[in-house]
Amino acid sequence: MNAGAIPRAPKPPKVRRRKLTAGTMASYFALIATIGFTIFPLVWLFLTSIRSSADIFSVPVHIIPETVTLVQYMAVFGEYDTMGYVWNTVVVSLATVVFVHLLAIPCAYAMSRFRMPGFFFIIGLLLIMRMIPVIALAIPLFAVFAAFGMLDTKWALILAHTAAKLPVAIWLLLGFIQDVPKEIEEAAQVDGAGTMRTLVQIVTPLIAPGIGASAVITFLFTWNDLLLALTLTSSKAAQTLPVGLTNFISQYGIDWGAMSAAGVLMIIPTLVFVWFAQGLLVKGLTTGAVRG
Amino acid sequence: MSDVAQRRVGRRRKRSPLPYTWQKGYLLAGPAFIVMIAVFVYPMGYSFIMSFFRWDLSGSAPFAGLGNYVDELTGRQFRQAMRNQIIFSLVSITVEVIAGMAIALLINGKLRGMRLARTLLLVPPMIAPAVVGLNFRWLFNTQYGFVDALLRMMNLPTVPWLTDPTWALVSVTIADIWQNTPLMVLLFLAGLQSLPQEPLEAATADGASAWQKFWFIVLPLMRPVIMIALMLRIIDTFRTFDVVWLMTQGGPGGATNLLTVYAYLLAFQGVDFGHAAAVSYIALILSLILLAVLYGVPWLLAKRRAI
Repeated sequence: MNAGAIPRAPKPPKVRRRKLTAGTMASYFALIATIGFTIFPLVWLFLTSIRSSADIFSVPVHIIPETVTLVQYMAVFGEYDTMGYVWNTVVVSLATVVFVHLLAIPCAYAMSRFRMPGFFFIIGLLLIMRMIPVIALAIPLFAVFAAFGMLDTKWALILAHTAAKLPVAIWLLLGFIQDVPKEIEEAAQVDGAGTMRTLVQIVTPLIAPGIGASAVITFLFTWNDLLLALTLTSSKAAQTLPVGLTNFISQYGIDWGAMSAAGVLMIIPTLVFVWFAQGLLVKGLTTGAVRG
Repeated sequence: MSDVAQRRVGRRRKRSPLPYTWQKGYLLAGPAFIVMIAVFVYPMGYSFIMSFFRWDLSGSAPFAGLGNYVDELTGRQFRQAMRNQIIFSLVSITVEVIAGMAIALLINGKLRGMRLARTLLLVPPMIAPAVVGLNFRWLFNTQYGFVDALLRMMNLPTVPWLTDPTWALVSVTIADIWQNTPLMVLLFLAGLQSLPQEPLEAATADGASAWQKFWFIVLPLMRPVIMIALMLRIIDTFRTFDVVWLMTQGGPGGATNLLTVYAYLLAFQGVDFGHAAAVSYIALILSLILLAVLYGVPWLLAKRRAI
């Protein structure tokens, strides 16, 4: 009744509205399907982590959790005492990031600015080092660290990760330093700055995005690593979270609830970096890839 | 002549106000080199030598010559690992690259929500493969897993995902495809968006079909990106360990032993470091050969065409 009485003003034409052609429909369908497949397994992991154990082991499987509970997370920190693993992982990852960059920044600077004999040999070696399967490094490192009595220490793990991540970091930073105009450094040196001062006060701030990118990449790949930790550590003194995951597998079966909760904890740093530092991450991945 | 020219350039550079001497360079780069030599190059050399000895931590390590390599290359277990590795690498790389390209082509355009989609696509490639492994082990659980529940709901026969040797390899491959296809999509999207528009517009004006445009214009222009994608995946599949370790530990009966998993088991369950080192070197050499072929064949073809 009302609707007929007052003629509505014509809607202002939407400028941004595009026609939904068959092509765009197909595109949206592909996009939604891809995203669905991409995130569903992670959603399922999360749903498992907030179920009660009775709900997890129910047949038929409930898609929607019957109850929402934090018991699995409590078990992770109580019964399984995972805090130690978290601490080790944080220490090892952060220390690796710091050491890698303390070493890689001057190294990349030297390689891009100083005409060092053997430059191409070093570059070639760095490239090959990037391709080496980690197991080829882990096996002899086990023997070497055993000889020095360093097995099952965080130091061994930090050293191993530092060496393993250095080639990628140097390679990445090399590209960023080459984009810094030499004139800026020359001006600094004319004003009396020494080499170290030029590097620390002029070059390093200018390649901050590059350092950020390689720091994020180094951190995540160290955080995620299973093989080196599995090889070089054997007790809670140095074991990291990925190794801790294997502890939920016992001869009596697998505690799926607690394991899922630990898995969710494990991917939180990734989610944080993907959300807040996506640009740095993509830069790190693609620069490394393109120059590789 | 060119030598003289080079030297002259060198001399001119030396006159720049910066003291870029190579001694200083090595001083700056030295610490990184020392760490890499001590903790990377030296152990690698150590294991290269190790691969020529019978080495079981018992104290005596007799020289074996090429024995370890011969044992492995003719051994049943190595051949099984090799076969698994070839199937795994071939299938996962093929699916990831083709699916990645197809998805990238489909969603390349000004769609709403693309920013969010990009963010979400970045998640799987960056999360720990160990978590991916445990998660797929859970999804593929025969009693309480989601996938079998779905199959039952649709009245389809359930699948012995992780207990049957063939299906176990399929499951591991699926987990890898799930994790890495999004990376391929992102890489190819970036490539597609930096394509020059003129050739495509010209082709449209000439009435080329979508397939023709893809096959004759997009694909050749995308070749560098595809090469990078292939290179990344070849390197990566030859080091795959975490996913398999959390899903199957190489089982059942070695059905999901990839080269890295096999080498790990040899070293740390069989305490046979000599053979393990040999296997890890075989894996390294294989991936180097593959990369050489990947980059060498197009180069040779281009050279022949030039002549």
